[in-house]
Amino acid sequence: MADVLITVRLPAPATLESAMRHLELAEDEVDTAYGLVPIDPRRNLYVLRVTESAGRRVGDTGAGPRGGDHPRADGGPYSDPPIEPYGPPR
Amino acid sequence: MRVLIQLRPSPDLVAAVADPSVPSSASDVADDLPGIVIDHAYAPVAVPRPMPAVPGGDPLSLNQPLVFSMAPQDASVVVRGEIADDELTSRIALLPATRRDVVAVYADPAIETTLTCAGDPPVGDWHDVERLLRLPDLAAEGLDGSGVPLAVIDTGINAAYVSAARGREVTVDHERSWNPKSVSGTPGAFAVDHGSMCAFDALIAAPNASLVDVPVLLSRRQGGSTLDGLLSDAIAAYAHLREVLDAQPAESRALVVTNSWGSFSPRWDFPPGHPGNYSDNPAHPFNLIVGSLAEAGADILFAAGNCGTQCRDSRCAYPDRPIVGANSHPRALSIGGIDTAGSRVGYSSQGPGRLAARKPDLCAYTHFTGSGALGDTEPDSGTSAACPVAAGLVAAVRTRWPSTTLSPAQLRTLLRRTADDRSAVGYDHDYGYGVVDAAGVIAALRRRAAKAA
Repeated sequence: MADVLITVRLPAPATLESAMRHLELAEDEVDTAYGLVPIDPRRNLYVLRVTESAGRRVGDTGAGPRGGDHPRADGGPYSDPPIEPYGPPR
Repeated sequence: MRVLIQLRPSPDLVAAVADPSVPSSASDVADDLPGIVIDHAYAPVAVPRPMPAVPGGDPLSLNQPLVFSMAPQDASVVVRGEIADDELTSRIALLPATRRDVVAVYADPAIETTLTCAGDPPVGDWHDVERLLRLPDLAAEGLDGSGVPLAVIDTGINAAYVSAARGREVTVDHERSWNPKSVSGTPGAFAVDHGSMCAFDALIAAPNASLVDVPVLLSRRQGGSTLDGLLSDAIAAYAHLREVLDAQPAESRALVVTNSWGSFSPRWDFPPGHPGNYSDNPAHPFNLIVGSLAEAGADILFAAGNCGTQCRDSRCAYPDRPIVGANSHPRALSIGGIDTAGSRVGYSSQGPGRLAARKPDLCAYTHFTGSGALGDTEPDSGTSAACPVAAGLVAAVRTRWPSTTLSPAQLRTLLRRTADDRSAVGYDHDYGYGVVDAAGVIAALRRRAAKAA
């Protein structure tokens, strides 16, 4: 699997930099061109695109270390599958 | 699902059914079968019992010399009926316990050798779709899409081509259109392809809608032939559409989003049951943002897909239940395809869906001569065409019914309730609640307006 998605809750106004700081992510682990995308403004929920290893480390269902000292995402790692037009049928 | 029910009633009744001079009806032998709508137009048929031709033969084997007995004490009777798709398993399991004369229940598949498939010539043209969608009636009600933003999430629109194909100017809303960061290009000026077909088809019922061009399927373009994107780009597109929606005044809020795309294969997904999975997981970020945008007032439609059992697309890789992820979202409409002659096209995906079981919701028209965007002689085809056709009808409704007056959930219910039901028991997994019916929609809106007055 290539890059994955993780979700994070941050108080507004949130930025990609604040999300990276919160999750202790390095620049080369994050798709900075994709940025920090709001999912649900009412819930302060955002998504970002990260490498698979970073997703595993900080995602809440990943294999990274747990405990108070380790930053965790709100959710993920989630898949980021390719999408294609549904037509014409082949 | 249509079924054949085999019963063994009293020998007198079997003899009557077997005697062509004695009129008999389905209600004589199969009245009140719980959960089954009996087809009373189908006269009961006596069926002989296979028996070993040689004394001492196995009474249960069909792989031996047989004779067939129509004696009343041997023969049985078959009637025809229908069971709701989502009750099939429980009804069939319970039936022999509640009616001891029921021997068995068998599938009664439709014998259709002429279902439209990929490569078949077009069935009708887009003017037939206009007629079927009651375009003059919609126009008379003032339902033409004027002022309604209609977002086409696809490969980009070529407005000049669509205008020429329609024979009238189309409007692209440059301000509300949006490109993924990896895509450069001007809204309405992309190469003629799938997105132009979708735009053309959406404008059939809503000729004055404002197209919002969102070319997410160009985000991973390699060379000139491969059109695909990543789901993360669709998430970013939906975040943009949320801003579009929130910026509108409440009294005229409307946004219709048509999505003729999806995921063909589980190869790039986590498996179902994994918390990071997309296909079956309502908590995936894209499924969350679809729900969030619908709750905020957008009407979201997805193509059901081209993985129908009769002639599935060769790319379909899900072993079953091919309506996956947001294409089966409970807060979106999942659209299957029928041709203009009224038959489901063989490639239209059947339910149940993975996020919500009752998918597809509705069917709309496809496989007709339309935009020509896929080739001069190529029909506008796939559920890719059916989805924007239905989205156009939704956009037409929104001309006078903003989402603050008629919420997306209410409109989804109205469309399902007014659909032309194609089964005897309501919902089925081929046609959903039925075929979109503009006349029914207009009548329901009139009743609603009268009540409000």
